[in-house]
Amino acid sequence: MKPTVILRRTSVRTLLATGLVTSLTLVSGCAKSEDDSDKAKNSTSQGDSGQVVASPSAGSGPTCTIDAYGGKKIDLKSATVGFSQSEKEANPFRIAETASIKAEAQKRGVKLLTSNAQSQFSKQISDVQDLIAKGADLLVIAPLNSDGWEPVLRSASAKHIPIVTIDRKINATACKDYVSFIGSDFVEQGKRAADRMIEATGGKGEIAILLGAAGNNVTTERTKGFEDRVKEKAPGLKIVFKQTGEFAREKGQSVTENLIQSKPGITGIYAENDEMGLGAVNALKGAGKKPGTVKIVTIDGTRNAVQGIVDGWINGVIESNPRFGPLAFQTLDSFTQGDKVAQDIVIKDSAYTTDNAKSDIGKAY
Amino acid sequence: MTDLTLGRATADRDRLLRLLQEYGVYLGVVVLLLLNTVFTPHFLSAENFRTQAVQVAPVLIVALGMALAIGSEGVDLSVGSVMALSTSLLSLYLGYGAWIAVLAAVAGGIVVGVANGALIAFVGVQPIVATLALMVAGRGLALVLLPQLKDVRNPGMAELGSGDVLGVPYLVLIAVALALLVGFVVRRTTFGRQLLALGDSRPAARLAGLPVRRVLIVVYVCSGVLAAIAGVLATARLTASDPTSLGTLMELSAITAVVVGGTPLSGGRVRIGGTVAGAVLIQLLTTTLIKHDLPPSWTQIAQAVVIVLAVYAARERGKR
Amino acid sequence: MLSVTGVSKTFPGVRALSSVDFTARTGEVHALIGENGAGKSTLIKVLTGVYRPDEGQVTYDGSPVRFATPLEAQHAGISTIYQEVNLVPLMTVARNLLLGREPRNRLGLIDFRRMHRTADEALRGLGIRVDVRRPLRELGVGAQQMVALARAVSVDARVVVMDEPTSSLEPREVRTLFEVIRTLRERGIAVIYVSHRLDELYEICDTVTVLRDGKVVHTGRIADLDRLRLVSLMLGREIGVVRDEGLTKFTGSHDTAVEPVLQAEELTVRHLLDGVSVAVRPGEVVGLGGLLGSGRTETAKAIAGALRTDSGRVVVAGTTVRTGSTPAAIRAGISLLPEDRKAEGVLPGLSVRENIALAALPGLSRFGLVDEARIDRIVDTFMTRLRIKAAGPHQKVGELSGGNQQKVLLARWLAMHPKVLLLDEPTRGIDVGAKAEVQKLIDELADDGLGVLLISSDTEELIEGSDRVVVLKDGAVVAELTGDAVTEDRLMRAIATAPSASTAAGGPDD
Repeated sequence: MKPTVILRRTSVRTLLATGLVTSLTLVSGCAKSEDDSDKAKNSTSQGDSGQVVASPSAGSGPTCTIDAYGGKKIDLKSATVGFSQSEKEANPFRIAETASIKAEAQKRGVKLLTSNAQSQFSKQISDVQDLIAKGADLLVIAPLNSDGWEPVLRSASAKHIPIVTIDRKINATACKDYVSFIGSDFVEQGKRAADRMIEATGGKGEIAILLGAAGNNVTTERTKGFEDRVKEKAPGLKIVFKQTGEFAREKGQSVTENLIQSKPGITGIYAENDEMGLGAVNALKGAGKKPGTVKIVTIDGTRNAVQGIVDGWINGVIESNPRFGPLAFQTLDSFTQGDKVAQDIVIKDSAYTTDNAKSDIGKAY
Repeated sequence: MTDLTLGRATADRDRLLRLLQEYGVYLGVVVLLLLNTVFTPHFLSAENFRTQAVQVAPVLIVALGMALAIGSEGVDLSVGSVMALSTSLLSLYLGYGAWIAVLAAVAGGIVVGVANGALIAFVGVQPIVATLALMVAGRGLALVLLPQLKDVRNPGMAELGSGDVLGVPYLVLIAVALALLVGFVVRRTTFGRQLLALGDSRPAARLAGLPVRRVLIVVYVCSGVLAAIAGVLATARLTASDPTSLGTLMELSAITAVVVGGTPLSGGRVRIGGTVAGAVLIQLLTTTLIKHDLPPSWTQIAQAVVIVLAVYAARERGKR
Repeated sequence: MLSVTGVSKTFPGVRALSSVDFTARTGEVHALIGENGAGKSTLIKVLTGVYRPDEGQVTYDGSPVRFATPLEAQHAGISTIYQEVNLVPLMTVARNLLLGREPRNRLGLIDFRRMHRTADEALRGLGIRVDVRRPLRELGVGAQQMVALARAVSVDARVVVMDEPTSSLEPREVRTLFEVIRTLRERGIAVIYVSHRLDELYEICDTVTVLRDGKVVHTGRIADLDRLRLVSLMLGREIGVVRDEGLTKFTGSHDTAVEPVLQAEELTVRHLLDGVSVAVRPGEVVGLGGLLGSGRTETAKAIAGALRTDSGRVVVAGTTVRTGSTPAAIRAGISLLPEDRKAEGVLPGLSVRENIALAALPGLSRFGLVDEARIDRIVDTFMTRLRIKAAGPHQKVGELSGGNQQKVLLARWLAMHPKVLLLDEPTRGIDVGAKAEVQKLIDELADDGLGVLLISSDTEELIEGSDRVVVLKDGAVVAELTGDAVTEDRLMRAIATAPSASTAAGGPDD
């Protein structure tokens, strides 16, 4: 009886597996998406605006040199760079980030090893250790968490491998455990979003905030910057509603639907990312509002949001630049040649307004 | 004498408790409606009710399938992933037109349902494990097919998402129709009776000659198809396919609605009316807190309280 | 020691107990008997703290008590052994035995060495030898029952309630049990003994209380009450009628010259059955005899498609039936009344109506839609014909007494118009009255031309009910008794003297 059972089980399993594979090939084989023709256009028009250093331009702030860090000078051209991405390339930000690193590596002719932790921190740790084992001389890491990096840092420092972290910081000593952090100032982004909101509303009225995911530093910092600036510059602007949209379009839409019913007099909505902003636009459309009756300011700078400005629904988009490639490699290049590099490199984010949206949409990601 | 009155008092308490278990969820909905009417500005408007109905529709549809799975003494954790898969397939096939795309999405739901059902009925994997496997696999497949959010510009889909008949949105009409259909199936069809029988006692149902495997597979196919339809509707409403976030934690919302609605997790009973009310209750609860701009963590706490109450009631029911 | 006065208890639609007085005295074995639904179970549950009475007083050790939970009653010294073993099947024998009072070592952890030793000693004292480290479920039902008993007496019990303790025991185990009961009596423990086996009652009990329809109809010394009188008290019928009908309802004679309606040939299941062949003619009742674990239940299950066979075939009315498929067997006209009524038979959470209609449902539907009116007719017919006692067709089956549950199951199968009925312990756990009714029904069904295969641990029932008896031992047929040879004596001899079948090692549990 036993063997037959096993036999039956395997056959069921094989059947399932075959079924899945077949269906997958079938599914993707004859798929015809809505706008396949657009794709080519999109990718060619991908205008690139590399990052520009914002804060340490004057040479202020602590710096780091290879002598202070330990290790020896190498030529970046002959080196191998390992890149560890934190999340799946499933949102525009991550896609643009990885693409930028890859493009820059190709441009400079550097050998690049990549890995993706799929939002699992333990996987990211082993990813980075793999990269080291595979012979990476330099590391660029987009960390998923700020903490828990000791094992990696230990093995990296044993081999004197310089590390640059991008978009998120890790909790460790700069110029000892890692070289530099390159990223945006989220508080500053919030402040600039507040400026756009004040401009759009004339500094008066009631506004709502669509918060990001709870317990996320991006959420807290973008909220703090925005609230501080509003309090300071436009006391007439009242924040009457703060609910989370969890950085997702669907959630942003349903929260906004409730918002405009219970507070029909709302004059502005600050969405802490583009997706929630686009959800808010959906909600306003569904409620039969005209473009511009409710001012919307968002952060990130994705193509869809910038298109929203062109269409008149969104009043401003503060960019959070994902194109770390040029700046990261430039930092590594200077560092390996023995030059001084800043420990905290804050990049300059641009902004899209009604004035430049049409012309700059090619720059959006 | 004291014993007598005491006995009567317990009997009364028992009856009250049972009534509360049976109709508590409806009472909850009524209480929330009354509270909102009094305390929430602009609550009593057609527009508001329409919004609430539209928002609850996808959860409700998924919960209907979940109620069937739970009634068969199982559970379907893959529903959220099926929604994601459905939205991916929809977007992928929209080039052929809306109808073909919707069919493709539903077919995705059927495939996942058959896989779930086969694992459970033939291989003998526990429902929670089998559907967990498909939950992971389904989301993965969805992201392979469509790695990121993609806008849907098809006018038919847009119409489905925001259009209405005599002021009642299509989404709501579809949800109501499906609820009536599932209710009818459970009450009046052979399949419905057999489902309850095998949920009550699997060995007894098997020895009574019921087509246990067939019924189980149909249950999970139903659940898959309903989740796929919910995925299509959510996509239409959003006018975008977002397999990364669509349907995340949907399985928990659906289970909550079913349990709060009075369907026992031990199977053998399915309450469609209760499930509908359960979904509405959770929706109203969330809405109330959002409208009053209370901290989001309150929503989670409130939901937790409702679940605990429902589970408590279910426990009492189980003892009976 | 433990008594109740004027106790009443009402359930929705049923008055289970009305003003019942009952007293269990120290050092006395007190029989509690009555038909199904007479209120025995309810009374026991009141005594042990499961139910609280609506009226009346429970007195324990001279003072009034109100047990809030069974645990409280247990702590006070009242132990219960239920009909169905209520232990934890996945835990070891030793853990079950000492559950909740495991010996601890200095660190407060369970001292397994000591636990195993204590458990082993406790079981050995009762004449049972099992490996106490094995999970309980690997033991036979009989052995599990003994573990339950050992558990009950190893706590410092002053009152032990036994609800049909012998229903799944073999004769040897019954002897052991009686030894234990006598020891308990000598130790001054009050024993309340519920059973339907009259022989046992007369052998072990001192006093008897007879319940009928929730009332006490007799209480006194059992020696002063003859058997016939006892039966008539339980049934509430006159002695003459009972005597005329005999103690069982079987007539025991059916036509034997026809072609068999069921032929099971060389059924083999590894470890369980070894080439078992049985044939049943229309209108014939064939008994399957043998001890616990001889393969009777397995034979029935194999014929009904509920147990996958390695080889052998089943032929019904000339057509071979696919084995290992319950639906195929049912379509061919085979119906099985399983031994474990609660777990495999009834759907306790569903109504009487749903339970009866369950198997016949596809035939009562059009295009998958259920024809409610036809179901109502069928349910109505069978509830009347089988005299099913329920508050109505919508009452939950789980709330019915065992006998009525069994009748509901019979109705479920009769609605399918079967050709062969396989009855596995159809009267287990059913009181004398309902038992007689079920036996009479079986007889009637055979007269109507059904082939019946009967399994029963009650040898009297088996012998009187069957036209032929096929005797099994260790999964193989060892003898077949026909005609005048169908006697208890011959059956015993066949079981005792037949050489053990060599291939099927280690008999399973029924």
